[in-house]
Amino acid sequence: MAATKALFSQLSSRIDSLLEGFRNLSKINTIRDLANQSADVLKRIVPDTSVEMAHRPSPKDKAWEIIIGAGAQIPEKLIALSKQKTASASLIREVGNSICAIQRLADHTSIGFVFSRIDKAAGFSELDLLSLRLFIQLFENGYQNMIYHRNEKGLIFSLNHRILQLNSLIETGIEVEKLDHTSSPHHLALVRAASLTNASYASLRVTYGKDVREQYTFPEGISISRPSKDPNHIAAGFTFHGETFRFKLFDKESRSGIIAFEETDQLLLDALARQVHASIENRYLHQQALENQRIEQEIAVAAAIQQKILPVALPVIKGYDLAGINIPSKSVGGDYYDCLPLPDGRYALVIADVSGKGVAAALLVSSLHAYLTAYLEGPFALAELAARLNRVLYRASPDDKFITAFIAILSPDSGKIEYVNAGHNPAYVLNDRNSISELGLGGLPFGMFPDAAYQCDGFTMGRGERLLMYTDGIPEAQNEARELFERTTTLSTYFAEHKPESAGSFISGLIRDIKAFTLSAPQSDDITAMYLWRT
Amino acid sequence: MDLPFSLTSELRDSRLIIATSGYVNNIGGEAIATEFNRHFESGIKEVVINLAQSKVVNSIGMSFLLEIIEKLEDAGGRLVFSNLDPAVDKMLTIMGIFKFAGKASDVAEALKSFS
Repeated sequence: MAATKALFSQLSSRIDSLLEGFRNLSKINTIRDLANQSADVLKRIVPDTSVEMAHRPSPKDKAWEIIIGAGAQIPEKLIALSKQKTASASLIREVGNSICAIQRLADHTSIGFVFSRIDKAAGFSELDLLSLRLFIQLFENGYQNMIYHRNEKGLIFSLNHRILQLNSLIETGIEVEKLDHTSSPHHLALVRAASLTNASYASLRVTYGKDVREQYTFPEGISISRPSKDPNHIAAGFTFHGETFRFKLFDKESRSGIIAFEETDQLLLDALARQVHASIENRYLHQQALENQRIEQEIAVAAAIQQKILPVALPVIKGYDLAGINIPSKSVGGDYYDCLPLPDGRYALVIADVSGKGVAAALLVSSLHAYLTAYLEGPFALAELAARLNRVLYRASPDDKFITAFIAILSPDSGKIEYVNAGHNPAYVLNDRNSISELGLGGLPFGMFPDAAYQCDGFTMGRGERLLMYTDGIPEAQNEARELFERTTTLSTYFAEHKPESAGSFISGLIRDIKAFTLSAPQSDDITAMYLWRT
Repeated sequence: MDLPFSLTSELRDSRLIIATSGYVNNIGGEAIATEFNRHFESGIKEVVINLAQSKVVNSIGMSFLLEIIEKLEDAGGRLVFSNLDPAVDKMLTIMGIFKFAGKASDVAEALKSFS
């Protein structure tokens, strides 16, 4: 009893030393460091004892890797010991002057110990044996702690890497959306995909049909020539406006070599490809919007110019009632009308229609206005004026543009009208007998041929007679069923049947009836008309 | 054509400065670790890694950097990163590297931090 008490008393002090020693081993990262430092602990609790240690990485393998010690007999002793069958995780035997022990560890590897007295004649006491057993057990605990610590670090690293992947996915999405025309969102996405999945290499190919428009690799300059069925790659892609973008990642790295890509790697690559797709699409739409904005701005400028050309108000001609209107189908139209007072008291009534609509048509109209105004100041007869207009407008107009026009020169006192019709709709004259005359004589539209000749004609407008000039936007106004206004009533008939008390009333009534016919159908052409009534 | 990875190193007042160029992946990380170990075994414990020319680091490369940090920490030394690309800076931040290593805007600032 007393001996047992003394034994436990001695053991207690050794246990305290053991625990103290192994507490300090909590930061050990490798088995070699654990072995070396635990050997130091052993020296304190079982003095004059040397330890040799070996590690067996696999239970199926007989080979022991020496960690501490140099003797070749260590593995021999441990191999001999390991042949003894036991269900216990721990095997300890006296072998000659040594104590050999094998301890199965938490990761199914084994650690072997050979404890030897420095004084070979000395043996191991009961206390020493107990201490060695405790030492082995606490070594196993220390090893387990090392494994857990390593796994914990690995787990934390893995979790942080997942957070990094998610964060990078979000950030890459934001960066590829930045609408900087100098940057390449697909290059950025490829690099990010490669680094986040630990791919050794990455490639991007942009094709249009069989044409290869772009090839990019990461790292840059690497030549990647791999068979299409190479198992060590993943791919993702999309097609936009006929261009196909194909992302590929090759050879996922690990510390132990090339490994297979994981499902999450494919998910990440797919997500990045989708982000690039959205970015490219947004960039395209943005450029479209900018282009539309630019066009709208140009149209606004052209509209402003056109507004300055079209008359704000028509001149008041004594003895006559004159009214006109222009409603462009787009913000800038190709129709023109005006009544220009001439220095000699006459008036030039003009109506014109440029083929096409939009800015180009408006610019040609402004050219017509400028030249007409200038030539009307000159001494030219109407036929000569028309020929001159034709030559300058031929030079000024694009190949696909020409201008139809009706020009009438009114001498208000006599009512005499001289006119030329350059390919325009015939103007109508309603006489006091309610019959309609068409004024169609003239020549070709301005701008078609450089040397076109023109003929003029004339008549005298009596009191009560009316003149209607118009562009084809009026008879050809369409409703939603694509029926033309003139199918319901020809303009000449309308002209004859509507004789309100003012020119303005005719114009407003005509427009009202056109709108009642077309209803919600979009206006297909510019609408322009001028009405002259000799009162 | 850019080579995937390369590095240069120099010693200044017993402090090692490693400057890298290219993708810090398995190959790059191993090259850094090899160069570090060569000097660590000679007693160098203060290290600057200049990543100015390395805009991309993957987790394998980072694992080598972590091992360098742990070795230096165990030996009472320190690692400072310098000239970090914003994307790399963010990556190292998320991975928690700066709890155990320093960062500086350039090599001069990194060397000063050891004093």
